[in-house]
Amino acid sequence: MSLQEDAMKKSLIGIALFLCVIIPLPVFAGVPLDTVKTHVDKVLEVLRDPSLKAESSKKLKKDKICAIAEKMFDFTELSKRTLAQHWSKFTPEQQKEFTSLYKSLLENTYADKILLYTDEKILFTKEVPLTEKTAEVQTMVVRSTQETPIYYRVILKDGTWMVYDVIVEGISIINNYRSQFREILVNNPPEYLLETLRKKVGKA
Amino acid sequence: MKHICRFVLTVMFVTYPVILWAQAFDEPDAAVHTSPGVVHSDAGLMGFPQPLSLSDIDGQRETPAIIVAQAIAGEEIPARELATHAGKEAPEEGEEEVPLIADPIAPFNKAMYHVNDKLYFWLLKPVTQVYSHTVPEPFRVVFNNAFDNLWAPSRIVNNLLQLRFKAAGNEFIRFIFNTIAGIGGLGDVAAPALGIKKQEADFGQTLGHYGIGHGFYLVLPVFGPSSVRDGVGLAADRFMYPLSYISTSDLTFGEAAGIYAGEKVNDTSFHIGEYESFKDSAIDPYVGMRDAFVQYRQKKVEDSKK
Repeated sequence: MSLQEDAMKKSLIGIALFLCVIIPLPVFAGVPLDTVKTHVDKVLEVLRDPSLKAESSKKLKKDKICAIAEKMFDFTELSKRTLAQHWSKFTPEQQKEFTSLYKSLLENTYADKILLYTDEKILFTKEVPLTEKTAEVQTMVVRSTQETPIYYRVILKDGTWMVYDVIVEGISIINNYRSQFREILVNNPPEYLLETLRKKVGKA
Repeated sequence: MKHICRFVLTVMFVTYPVILWAQAFDEPDAAVHTSPGVVHSDAGLMGFPQPLSLSDIDGQRETPAIIVAQAIAGEEIPARELATHAGKEAPEEGEEEVPLIADPIAPFNKAMYHVNDKLYFWLLKPVTQVYSHTVPEPFRVVFNNAFDNLWAPSRIVNNLLQLRFKAAGNEFIRFIFNTIAGIGGLGDVAAPALGIKKQEADFGQTLGHYGIGHGFYLVLPVFGPSSVRDGVGLAADRFMYPLSYISTSDLTFGEAAGIYAGEKVNDTSFHIGEYESFKDSAIDPYVGMRDAFVQYRQKKVEDSKK
């Protein structure tokens, strides 16, 4: 790239910015990121709350975080995408139970991981639209020895942006659980998976 | 001493301007040398800062105008991002592509998985816990930098092999700068001073970059999840480890193992609790680990093509 192209780029930016002022912006530019940020901010508030620092408050902290996760994640979407083609093998009742068990599992997982947090910096770096109704909010967790990229994939449902996948260093939760469930469902009926989940969640 | 001074001055006054010049061509998501106070701002177009941090006191945020401007100006990133995600994105239900890996020696792998599991809980974790109680974190961070610096030659060579010359150059500068100004790599001074971030690269990634597939899943004792391709990569990277060559004769196996153990314990001290948490959240930890490995390595290869 030459300096001329540099200059051209700069003027393009200038024009683009000017245009943005007079042309209405795409409907959801910024909103997904804001939405995710609001939720994460709430979680961080709970984590940083000095009155909840004690070991005894751990359960209370976890409950609060689960409450926030409830509003942040679209568990039905998550469940459908995780089971993929196996979703239709479940009866509506089983689907409901699966969604509820999966939700408990994920909430516990998320809460446990979040509770490992000790004051790292979280940067919201970018928002990338994927399709008309989905976007990816990119964040970075900065620790003393490494930076971990965490991307939230959100979907627009009934006017709200909700998270349907979390990708940590390239590892997507949906994909990860899907491969685990697939391994089970290939050789076993849906009821077997439900039983496994019941035991797992019951323990947690 | 005079030679060292001359060398350092050359590095600082010749290579630094070259880097500045190179930054103009660099991808916008690379770190840009900002003022010392701002360590973690993500560079936008031509260094247009997009700081977005929860701890940012100003509360400055990326405005929608900038996002759209990026798209309109034909900046590489949105297109690239979309292209990368095209394979993974599932606008329709159940159509998402999942990277797969063959696992023909699963019984062996599962056995190795259990061996590593026990090694972690019976050996690595107790040792690391004592270590992290004894050694304060700032020291452990410093040791981490030193160990990490030793992998720089491997990163340089692999970046070159992947034809990522900017990245290779950056890593080379980092290595020299950190070794000298960072006193043997104890400090990662290149990051705040020159704004150059680590450019990860390993030989397994290089092979993947050129289209070589994993072969099949292979769980190595001690080293953990790997594959045929990445196992070869590990061995190749070991050859580029400087400590193998510092003495007149190569390190004995015992010495090399000791250094590796030290590095492993120090690194683990920052990650205690993660493996346990992973196991807790998994329905089938073996499959979960295998899948996480595949996704992680695929992302690395995708990154190497950017």
